[in-house]
Amino acid sequence: MDKRISLRIDKIVEETSSVKTFCFSSPIDALPGQFIMLSDLRTGEKPFSISSSDSNGFSVTVKALGPFSSGMFAFKTGDFLSIRGPFGKPFDLRKGSILIAGGGVGVPPLFFLARELKKAGTEVVFINGAKNSDELIFKDLINELGINQIIMTDDGSSGKKGNAAEGLLNTLNESDFDAVYVAGPEGMLKKIADIKTDTYMELLIERYMKCAVGICGQCAVDPSGIRVCVEGPVFNQNMIRKLTEFGVYKRDAAGRKKYFEKAFSK
Amino acid sequence: MFTLDSRLKTDFLGSVLKTPLLLPAGVMGISASSLLYAVQSGAGIVTTKSLTLQPRKGHDGPVISPVEGGFINAMGLCNPGIEFGIKEISEFKIKSFVPVIASVFATEPEGFVKLTEFINDSEADFIELNLSCPNVSAEYGVPLSSSPVIVEEVVRAVTDISKIPVIAKLSPNVPDIKLLALAAEKGGASALCLINTLGPGMEIDINIGRPVLKNIFGGMSGPCVKPIAVKLVYEASSVVKIPIIGLGGIMTGADAVEMLMAGASIIGIGTGIYYRGMDIYRKVNNELNEFLMKKDFKHIDEIKRINIDG
Ligand SMILES: Cc1cc2nc3c(=O)[nH]c(=O)nc-3n(C[C@H](O)[C@H](O)[C@H](O)COP(=O)(O)OP(=O)(O)OC[C@H]3O[C@@H](n4cnc5c(N)ncnc54)[C@H](O)[C@@H]3O)c2cc1C
Ligand SMILES: Cc1cc2nc3c(=O)[nH]c(=O)nc-3n(C[C@H](O)[C@H](O)[C@H](O)COP(=O)(O)O)c2cc1C
Repeated sequence: MDKRISLRIDKIVEETSSVKTFCFSSPIDALPGQFIMLSDLRTGEKPFSISSSDSNGFSVTVKALGPFSSGMFAFKTGDFLSIRGPFGKPFDLRKGSILIAGGGVGVPPLFFLARELKKAGTEVVFINGAKNSDELIFKDLINELGINQIIMTDDGSSGKKGNAAEGLLNTLNESDFDAVYVAGPEGMLKKIADIKTDTYMELLIERYMKCAVGICGQCAVDPSGIRVCVEGPVFNQNMIRKLTEFGVYKRDAAGRKKYFEKAFSK
Repeated sequence: MFTLDSRLKTDFLGSVLKTPLLLPAGVMGISASSLLYAVQSGAGIVTTKSLTLQPRKGHDGPVISPVEGGFINAMGLCNPGIEFGIKEISEFKIKSFVPVIASVFATEPEGFVKLTEFINDSEADFIELNLSCPNVSAEYGVPLSSSPVIVEEVVRAVTDISKIPVIAKLSPNVPDIKLLALAAEKGGASALCLINTLGPGMEIDINIGRPVLKNIFGGMSGPCVKPIAVKLVYEASSVVKIPIIGLGGIMTGADAVEMLMAGASIIGIGTGIYYRGMDIYRKVNNELNEFLMKKDFKHIDEIKRINIDG
């Protein structure tokens, strides 16, 4: 955590046409929900959740969106990347029966979580949501864990038709769980955070990050000013509900409020 | 627990601070809520990020990198711009009585004057002129605080129109801090703030063969700069009568006492947040109280600038 290092990319896995996993064979001391700051020391430096970590090494899974993440797609095995971290508060691993729901690139950190829960002998149901079957990620890896995977796609091209939030609501209505863990786009998270439930719930959220060590204030959220890079990125449902900006706006690189285009339904 | 101990109550330019600990410019401070978080954590006075006339997204990353005993950073003066910034100050003022310093940055006197006009219409208690950012030299050349003549000119232009006391934030990266301190005082500054980040420095990644920071160079902060900060506050306070905000590498109550003994009136803590958490203000308040008790001091005022001739 005190050091920045540069590591060789040892393996690249193409998950979909727009998602790749970058594997490094040096171990780092990371827990599910934590993230690293990744850089080529050329284009920029951006936060990415750790998608697996054990004594052999770790990985991050990147979706090509803008300049930095698309630039990542040019990297080859053997290239070096700069890494700071791991940072942030990890998921609080509960015992009993666990429900996980991920959408898009919310799935990678949850895969790491599911693997750790499974190692601890916990029973896990994993709702894996994507736009369509082509964008579905980690389907095989999750199956290999030997857990119950429920696939949801917006267009029904794979699994059930619907989004991860709907899948979660149905599953919560059908059975009891001891804890729920969620990651994905803010619209999905907002719907889930608004669900009235007594079940313990944690959500992984994203805000614009720069220093990632809690001093620059970039990811401080309203109204309390707590920092997503230190006090988050994982928050429990009660804490999320207190964030007045959640689902409403987030700050850009200059610190201006940027309102989400679609107001999220209650 | 930090109790509202009157021993730490400090007068700063006519404002009463619960404690002499300050949140410096650019650390948190991007929004009302991040300023509030510092107050909740025990800071007695807070500073906004340095505001510019236009919004700035800052440099691309990496903007910061850990080095032995601190960090190098080149955020690139990211800020939402003065108009948005003063709204955040109002929002803060709805929720807190703690004094706010509005930090502003421009490249010439006219820019500072325009910014001051905005600040005059805001609820800020003080205005701080960032004359010393070392991280935008590629855009703007050497910081203004390299020249006593310019420092005096800018400070005078601002004090002429400012409705609130003016603080000059100086650079440590000068041959003689006394000349700059005197120039700011002569220009009409009510207080000085030093030090801004040191250097700047540079780090190269040997595997990638490139500078770590996107800006190539970055100012140093954290415990590694403290001896220089103490020296510069000591020197500046030997020549000016106005109060000094002393900062640079402060981590503990002992460091804060040392800064007071160097001649500071109040003490800033920035990078220390990384090492000891946001709670660092509460911790240092407690450590200051313990020091006062051990020394049988009734008030923090009893810690004086050292006198080595006596
Ligand atoms: C804690 C955390 C974990 C993340 N984990 C993953 C992950 O596992 N996989 C993945 O693909 N993406 C992840 N992201 C998102 C990833 O950081 C962005 O996709 C990436 O920064 C986009 O940069 P860009 O230059 O490619 O795109 P841009 O066009 O610059 O931005 C695209 C989107 O990414 C956001 N973004 C840009 N820069 C940052 C930044 N510095 N910090 C946060 N958000 C930013 C923008 O607000 C915008 O919504 C995570 C973000 C956070 C905060
Ligand atoms: C991430 C970061 C951003 C900073 N931004 C500003 C700024 O915008 N304006 C300014 O006057 N000083 C800025 N500074 C300098 C600090 O206010 C302070 O003077 C310096 O860091 C030394 O104190 P410290 O060692 O306690 O951090 C910044 C420092 C850091 C680490």
